[in-house]
Amino acid sequence: MHPALWVSKTGLSAQDTNMSTISNNLANVNTTGFKRDRAVFQDLLYQINRQPGGMSTENSELPSGLQLGTGVRVVGTAKQFTQGNLQVTEQPLDMAVNGRGFFQVLLPDGEIAYTRDGQFQLNADGDVVNANGYPLEPNINVPENTTSITIGTDGTVSAVIENQAAPVQLGEVTLVDFVNPQGLMAVGNNLFRETNSSGDPQEGEAGIGGLGTIEQGMTESSNVEVVEELVNMITTQRAYEMNSKVVSTTDQMLQFLSQNVG
Amino acid sequence: MDKSIFIGMSGAKQTMLAQQAHANNLANVNTTGFKRDFAQARSMPVFGEHFPTRAYAMTERPGTDLSAGAMMETGRALDVAIGGEGWLSVQAQTGEEVLTRSGSLNVDVNGMLRTATGEPVLGNGGPVALPPYDSLVIGQDGTVSIVPVGGPPDQLVEVDRLKLVNPPQDALMKGTDGFVRRKPDQAIDGAEPLDASVRLQSGFLEASNVNAVEEMISNLELARQYEMQVKVMQTAKSNSDATARLLQNLG
Repeated sequence: MHPALWVSKTGLSAQDTNMSTISNNLANVNTTGFKRDRAVFQDLLYQINRQPGGMSTENSELPSGLQLGTGVRVVGTAKQFTQGNLQVTEQPLDMAVNGRGFFQVLLPDGEIAYTRDGQFQLNADGDVVNANGYPLEPNINVPENTTSITIGTDGTVSAVIENQAAPVQLGEVTLVDFVNPQGLMAVGNNLFRETNSSGDPQEGEAGIGGLGTIEQGMTESSNVEVVEELVNMITTQRAYEMNSKVVSTTDQMLQFLSQNVG
Repeated sequence: MDKSIFIGMSGAKQTMLAQQAHANNLANVNTTGFKRDFAQARSMPVFGEHFPTRAYAMTERPGTDLSAGAMMETGRALDVAIGGEGWLSVQAQTGEEVLTRSGSLNVDVNGMLRTATGEPVLGNGGPVALPPYDSLVIGQDGTVSIVPVGGPPDQLVEVDRLKLVNPPQDALMKGTDGFVRRKPDQAIDGAEPLDASVRLQSGFLEASNVNAVEEMISNLELARQYEMQVKVMQTAKSNSDATARLLQNLG
């Protein structure tokens, strides 16, 4: 069959994947701690129809060969871990990481997941949990009769308890960093899992050793730029349309051939 | 049999190949750092002991358009785009040194600087390895400096320098893996020499240099040419039919 059909088909499916990535970014424009993805395109292998420099006769060679590309594919999506805007929420258990680092939450299966989403709440036992109810790791328990909670930029959590003059230290929120955060696996629910390519988590105190500071009463908004995504969407749509034009043109060529010859 | 039918057939086939080249360009309209391929046809006379009436067409790729694509701002420190001429030098899976303009770089778990497709990026002395860092800056000349983990932000440490090269454009060709390398007859001994005048811009990526409209028009133009080649075949067929009818009437 006509090779351009297959080539433009790869173009269509790559643009389609790109569109999914863009629409996922746009859908998460208001998701706290969301990091945008960018589809990475790569051209497929080239096939050599005629080798450049091949001998056309004993004493002459072809000046240029024919190498034909076979299309394109999306080789991966690269998460962009740039900082999102910090939004003031005034909620005492809302935290944002200003700089590098992730919060840790304990999943029900006993594994640790990592997140930039710092919207924490209390459960019935007084544990600090995320929106899904997974406790913060290391666990912080807020006693009853607490009138106010203060989280320092280094992650120290202290509480003022009713009828007690001195604040009580409840624990410390630690952060972890990875050599290659792009290698983390996004599992949904604003959570990431460690993989071989992300490297081991390196736990540390906020504000020290390259980790960002923890800002109480703020959340980190998504780093999706709406204008950028819309522009990408337009270019993707046009690229898709033009690739589909190649498909229909090629189809008409084959149609013309089969109707007129034979 | 009328010889023109073979000529029409070869024309149609070569048109199809040219169309694949244009379709590939169009498919890569969003591929970072992609360089479009040219496709042209050349007449190939048939040599031999006969009357030289025929010249077949032959599609070939005379080269690759190495002009620059548009600069896209990404704001990511590890995205680099080369301004003007020049190439980033990376190590292909075969181990040889190849060139690319696709500067979406990553740091892997061992601190190795890699392209988006995983090839190690070459520096002053082989692949670039980065120690753990807080922040990273790539200068215009390719110098990679970092603030080491826990280090004061005002004390940048120079780690390596990306190998930027600029071999003559007519010595280059695109390989089957999409990377650019020297033509076999232009090969040089040892590594590609550095070119200190190549400049890159961090926080940008270079878009594909494919002009989508141009490729689409070429595609439509080739489709019409194809139809004309089919028409030649059709005419040859009706000539042949007419001949057959004549022979029938004779009998």
